[in-house]
Amino acid sequence: MSATAGPIRRKRTAGARLFGPPAAHPYLLIAPAVVLVAVFLLYPVLSVFWESLQHHNLTRPLDDGFAGLDNYRKMLSDGLFWRSLRFTGQWVVVEVGLQFALGLALALVLNRTFVARGMARALAFSPWAVSGILTTTIWLLLYNPTTGVGHYLASMGIGEYGTSLLSDPGTSFWALVIAELWKGIPFFAILILADLQSVPTELYEAADVDGAGVLQKFRAVTWSHIRKAVVVATLLRAVWEFNNVDLLYTMTAGGPANSTTTLPLYVAQTAIHGQNFGYGSALTVAAFLVLTFASLVYLRISKTNFEEGK
Amino acid sequence: MKRQHNQAVALSTTGLPRRGFLRTAAGIGVAAGLGSTLSACGGSGGSGGTVTLHLWDTDTRPERTANLRKLISMFEAKNPGIRINYLGLPTDQYMQKINTAIATRSTPDLLTPKASDIAALVAQKALAPLDDRLKAAGLEQQISPQMLKSSRAAAPDGKLYLTPATSLADVIYYRADWFKQANLKPPATWADFDAAARRLTNASAGRFGYTLRGGNGFFAQLVEMVYPRAGVSTFYRADGTCTLDDPAVISACEAYVALFGKQTARSDLTADFKAMVAQFGKGGAGMLSHSVGSYPNHVAALGADKVGVVAPFPATGHQVLTGWMTTGFAMFKASKHQDAAWKFLAYTMEQEGNSFWAQKSGYLPGNKAVAQEKWVTENKALKAAMDASSAPGAVTLEQPYYLPEFSTITTTDLLPQWQKVLQGGLSSRDFLTAAAASLTKAKSKYGKEHG
Repeated sequence: MSATAGPIRRKRTAGARLFGPPAAHPYLLIAPAVVLVAVFLLYPVLSVFWESLQHHNLTRPLDDGFAGLDNYRKMLSDGLFWRSLRFTGQWVVVEVGLQFALGLALALVLNRTFVARGMARALAFSPWAVSGILTTTIWLLLYNPTTGVGHYLASMGIGEYGTSLLSDPGTSFWALVIAELWKGIPFFAILILADLQSVPTELYEAADVDGAGVLQKFRAVTWSHIRKAVVVATLLRAVWEFNNVDLLYTMTAGGPANSTTTLPLYVAQTAIHGQNFGYGSALTVAAFLVLTFASLVYLRISKTNFEEGK
Repeated sequence: MKRQHNQAVALSTTGLPRRGFLRTAAGIGVAAGLGSTLSACGGSGGSGGTVTLHLWDTDTRPERTANLRKLISMFEAKNPGIRINYLGLPTDQYMQKINTAIATRSTPDLLTPKASDIAALVAQKALAPLDDRLKAAGLEQQISPQMLKSSRAAAPDGKLYLTPATSLADVIYYRADWFKQANLKPPATWADFDAAARRLTNASAGRFGYTLRGGNGFFAQLVEMVYPRAGVSTFYRADGTCTLDDPAVISACEAYVALFGKQTARSDLTADFKAMVAQFGKGGAGMLSHSVGSYPNHVAALGADKVGVVAPFPATGHQVLTGWMTTGFAMFKASKHQDAAWKFLAYTMEQEGNSFWAQKSGYLPGNKAVAQEKWVTENKALKAAMDASSAPGAVTLEQPYYLPEFSTITTTDLLPQWQKVLQGGLSSRDFLTAAAASLTKAKSKYGKEHG
């Protein structure tokens, strides 16, 4: 074949006719993923933004139409929106903080060597394997005023009959916190324990030689190893707790008297029960923006800490 | 390296094959969309001369489901060319599923809605009117006029969408054995009721005179305990304003609220149907207000001899009947087999089907001949409701289920305020005045929209 020969004219095969020129192949290969993302992620997100600009209430079909920013104006003057936002912040901070602290303590205990450690680990992690609806059912039965723990305590002279932690606005928050902790602590414990097991024992031995105490060993060796896992776990858990609906909805449905209504629960009440999809979408957009902002701030702070810790 | 170069040349010479890419992507998208639509669609079908109907049930208590399946099999035995597929929807989320089906045009043929659901479904033009078919089948004369009227009143346009197969009615259940032990006669007046609630309460032993519904569904019990006591028999005055702010209603509500925490458990602040029934059945409460439909639950928990039933008492000479809400079946407008679907609807109103369904449900039958059957008078709850309805001057309080916003106002909007009232953070007067204003506004708006 000489260099001066004319361009090679390849015969178009059936495959080439079907899939077009080779330059198109990369696009064809990613097309299914692009379509799936567009259909199942992009479209729903954009449709919520669009819906938030509409009056769309199934019980008031004659009022339906373009609302502009009406739903957002209404939201700014809606006392329950601000109250639910504050309660959501309280819920996330208390839940994630306690889950982390107790999960870390549990992981440190389970990382030590003792008799029946395997059994103890299995028992400690089992709540994480229980489904959300089962968790709420277990705790609803425990808190039940007729058949629950309170009833039996009252029969022993402790407390009063006919009371329930979930029915008292003064105690309902902590009753929910305890139920969610039962399921959430193992999540942190599993992640932290996995990281703890990768810490070289030589480091602890070196620290012992240097005369480091328990707290010094924890700060210099343990914490520096598990810090990244803690950041990821905390962020994930904060997002999940922000969006927690199953436990809160099943146990109190936001009550009594809206005292345990989080923002996602308010969205569910507005859109599903109230059938007001326009306002419900505006609340969803607000939740989306709050969550995105909080995540960015958290990651920024964590990144700064990592860089300082290098 | 050479291949990469060749590809780069190819890209630069031929340009991006955007049109082909977009065409292919669109094709995949359409195929995926069609696939999901087809798989989600629950349309009826027919093969070999058999029509298959789809029925969605909104109340999926196990015993009710078994009874409904039996009713379907009885119907199928009489109509060999028709099959009915039963699908139970989650009781607390069924409207969400139905709304999704309406939006995606994948509704079934038949539904078991409540009267309070009809307005929202009719607003979406989802249901088929049944008036002409009822008349043509000659069924109108066989059905209780009161239930027929109540069924029609549930729709914004006054048409019949919900078959008046059965009806609920409010009653007060009491522990007959506790009354006997305390030498009390069954309550016959509101004064008797209040005295019994006080007498039966022994908080230190875990016994309360009454269980009050403070949680989900509270409005039905509020109306049952307040309107008959106030002697007010209409929900709206002639000028279209709501009677919830009537002084007699406010006074009756204050008496009702006064029970909370004294003659009731404090946990009643969030009590829903299940919590109330559990308290009554486990010996925690001596009296309970609910519809006739829960009678079988109480008998199963306590035994028939321990369950007494009375209707809410007349206050000012005339009996106000509450909770007379029709429950039945409806047909979707989009059904392709409306004739077959109507056959099933008719069967639930004819004597055989109606007798079975009403008896097994524990509801008042819509068929007049069935209402004369022996089992109706043997059911204490049905007997109490029927006796009350036949009292001289008895008037049925019709609640405005036809208002599309009624359900949202009386559930989502008012529940937190009601719980504030029970906790003492809001007065009965302020609560009822605000509720009346809200319902008056809803009716006024409805009036303007519907002429």
